[in-house]
Amino acid sequence: MALIGLKFCGGCNPQIDRLGLLEEIKKRLPPGCHLTLDQETGPWEAALLICGCPTACADDPKLEALSRCWIRISGAMVERETTPENKIAEAVMRKLFS
Amino acid sequence: MSQKTAEQYEESLRKMNFRIFLLGEKVTNPVDHPVIRPSMNSVKMTYALAQDPAHEDLMTAVSHLSGKKVNRFCHLHQSTEDLVKKVKMQRLLGQQTGSCFQRCVGMDAINAVDSVTFEMDQKLGTGYHKRFSDFLGMMQEEDWTVDGAMTDPKGDRSLPPSRQADPDLYVHVVDKNERGIVVRGAKAHQTGAVNSHWILVMPTMAMKKEDAEYALSFAAPADAEGITYIYGRQSCDTRKLEGGAIDVGNARFGGHEALMVFEDLFVPWDYVFMCGEVEYSGLLVERFAGYHRQSYGGCKAGVGDVLIGAAALAAEFNGAAQASHIKDKLIEMTHLNETLYACGIACSAEGYKTASGTYLINLLLANVCKQNVTRFPYEIARLAEDIAGGLMVTLASEKDLKHPQIGALVEKYFKGVASVSTESRCRILRLIENLTLGTAAVGYRTESMHGAGSPQAQRVMIARQGNLEHKKKLARAIAGLKE
Repeated sequence: MALIGLKFCGGCNPQIDRLGLLEEIKKRLPPGCHLTLDQETGPWEAALLICGCPTACADDPKLEALSRCWIRISGAMVERETTPENKIAEAVMRKLFS
Repeated sequence: MSQKTAEQYEESLRKMNFRIFLLGEKVTNPVDHPVIRPSMNSVKMTYALAQDPAHEDLMTAVSHLSGKKVNRFCHLHQSTEDLVKKVKMQRLLGQQTGSCFQRCVGMDAINAVDSVTFEMDQKLGTGYHKRFSDFLGMMQEEDWTVDGAMTDPKGDRSLPPSRQADPDLYVHVVDKNERGIVVRGAKAHQTGAVNSHWILVMPTMAMKKEDAEYALSFAAPADAEGITYIYGRQSCDTRKLEGGAIDVGNARFGGHEALMVFEDLFVPWDYVFMCGEVEYSGLLVERFAGYHRQSYGGCKAGVGDVLIGAAALAAEFNGAAQASHIKDKLIEMTHLNETLYACGIACSAEGYKTASGTYLINLLLANVCKQNVTRFPYEIARLAEDIAGGLMVTLASEKDLKHPQIGALVEKYFKGVASVSTESRCRILRLIENLTLGTAAVGYRTESMHGAGSPQAQRVMIARQGNLEHKKKLARAIAGLKE
């Protein structure tokens, strides 16, 4: 899994630090594994959707085609499972590599 | 091009040749003028965030004309999701600038002019919609900031346009030929006018047959020959000329309004979208006002977020954050602010498709939204002042804080909790001052009252849209009335 897709919501009222979370995720990625915002490089094996709140308004059905596996972070939730903000990066890693 | 960078936007303004007067002087370089520059920075943010992957989902949309990604401020709403995202974008920008970012009037104007010209053409056989779509295509391709210009000076409010002592108190056509029209008059309170590339003029109210020369909509380059701008004063505006960064409250961002005067402005027919069709002037006003009343549910909530945050910090810096009445006031401010936002989202989610395909908001809910906006920011501001304490208006100046002899006294006696510097405390109090009674209060308070129509205008619409007969029918049925 060399390339992982990435999409953000617009960030109008985020309940988590979306950019801070991205940095935490980047730190945990194994060597040779990168995140990309460039949708032209899709479809990907996996992709992250980082939304600031549970509404996850950027979760568009059109995204489905871009990745076989979307991991949706919506505020303090990973795939609708409540997760403390400081544990979200670890939870994402588990979803990505389990 | 289809999207400008923030730097390209600023450079594009430098190439324009505005005729602007401010504080009795002609402005030769508006972009770098210390009074104007913060307002330009706010508009510039609408370009910067559109390039940022962390915000582009709200800041951009796919054009229904070209299929290209465009700035949402140049987009016609194609769904209720677009309407919702518009409000979210506005909240985001209010948060990022703590001020009016000015670009909404143009977005609201294009959405209103689109559906009205389409319906006008269908009914009257005119050819305005094609012209407008061509203009919109250019706007999207060049990523223009467009000033939607509606409000006329209006002179004696008891008289219609055609019976005013001075006919120029409403914008009107004074000549027509095969090439275009010549226009005279003025538009007042023009938000972001001198940060705009083009203007999109609309009639100010519903017109009658005798006012046909005033039923007018057109576009023109903002720096066209024949347009003069007289820049509006704001409370505390000359603090921007003092060179400091604390006393202004918000050193980087601001808003502005100007009087826009047309002295025989020539407009080619290609840019005329209404000329005498009095029966559609009221509809255009209603739709523009509706969109703009929706807008305030986003932008004012965003600025409110900044003010609530500032009040919470002021309480912390005063050592009062744990007091129960302070916590309760912050809850009340949040409740009021989220109510504004809720109305903005509600009127968007309940939007519907018009004949042109462009989506319109639910007009009743948009008017309820704006009616709340005429009240709640005042209460939020009152509570912020309550929490901040009197120091927000009696504080010594930045120059005194930095003075070699008395600076230490200011530092010592304006200190709050020991862990926070006096400068930080001063900065937060000045920000509250800026939002509640300084330059930003123009946008946060008085614009909340009168922008997009004064309170009575919403009450007229609420009366019209309120469906009172249905409510009476419900009551009759429940009460078992037979008559």
